[in-house]
Amino acid sequence: MDILLAQLEGNVDNLGKAIAFGVGVGLGAVGAGIGIGNIFGSMIQAVARQPELRGELTGIQWLGFALTEAVVFYALLGGLLAYVLV
Amino acid sequence: MTILLAQASEEEFSPEHEFVLEEWIPIHLGPLDLSVNKAVVYLWVGGVATIFLGIWLMRFGLSLRPTRRQTTGEAVYELVQAQIAESSLPKKGIHLWFPYVAALFLFVWTLNMVGFIPLPISNDTFDLFGVELPTLGIYAATANLMVTLALALITFVATHVEGIRFNGAVNYFKSWVPQGAPKGLLFLIVPLEVISQFMRLISLSVRLFANMLAGHMLILVMIGLIFIFGNLALAIISIPVATAVYLFEVVIVVTIQAFVFALLSAIYIGGAIEPEH
Repeated sequence: MDILLAQLEGNVDNLGKAIAFGVGVGLGAVGAGIGIGNIFGSMIQAVARQPELRGELTGIQWLGFALTEAVVFYALLGGLLAYVLV
Repeated sequence: MTILLAQASEEEFSPEHEFVLEEWIPIHLGPLDLSVNKAVVYLWVGGVATIFLGIWLMRFGLSLRPTRRQTTGEAVYELVQAQIAESSLPKKGIHLWFPYVAALFLFVWTLNMVGFIPLPISNDTFDLFGVELPTLGIYAATANLMVTLALALITFVATHVEGIRFNGAVNYFKSWVPQGAPKGLLFLIVPLEVISQFMRLISLSVRLFANMLAGHMLILVMIGLIFIFGNLALAIISIPVATAVYLFEVVIVVTIQAFVFALLSAIYIGGAIEPEH
């Protein structure tokens, strides 16, 4: 423990920023993960019930996927901005 | 090998180094910085590749018994026509905006794809039999916010110009506010709707930019782990992971992001030409 603390000296600022960055992006990824799981789960259910709609649903599915996935990138970008600017 | 690794780890490894844009041919017009740098060169390559791809796929040698090249071209055309244009542009807008949407799809797809092919366009050089050659690197023009912002701005301007042209300025701006909204809440709703129009610009550009940046960053960091820890044994884990990320990006993300960028552009423009009420 002493060795760890000794190594940290002078770098505590960066350490805090790195932890904040990691936690922020991780939480963003949690949200996006749940959302994307929902989308594909619903897609499977929809196609299982009405297979003839697969073509129409595929476009909507990918649109929803991209819109949801973008959320984690907003977190990533915000984290990067905070890491660089603060 | 160990010496090479030791040398490499002595130099600070930083994945963001790949995204630094050095001026190769400085051009400054007053406050404008029009210098040629890595992103500009990648844009040129992408532009030329898009033109050749479009001509090669769709412009000659078409016959009733299609070759593989022709079926590919027809599949791309049909994807854009059925999935993007007809589903989101109103009838009176298709003939005007289908070419734009199709070109946007092809251009963004090519830019993304060029970004995942290792090309000798780089700031660093290495020595090969006494000749200085640029190192192979991956970088995408779309991994630069300015490029995607410019593309999004075209859509943004086109949206409002078309909205005003088809509906008249007064009707168009009225259509931003949902009909039947209580009069007392207008002071809240109007600013929100105006902000949401500008948020589209940000979300459209940042989605593509951050996707490409994160993809490249992941690959670079995975490979870079070997150099950060200076341990070759890590390659057993990090090379397969980097390859998996690379394949995921090339097979799925490149096409999805181009598709979504074109589709959202079409939805925005279509929504402005024919507001829902």
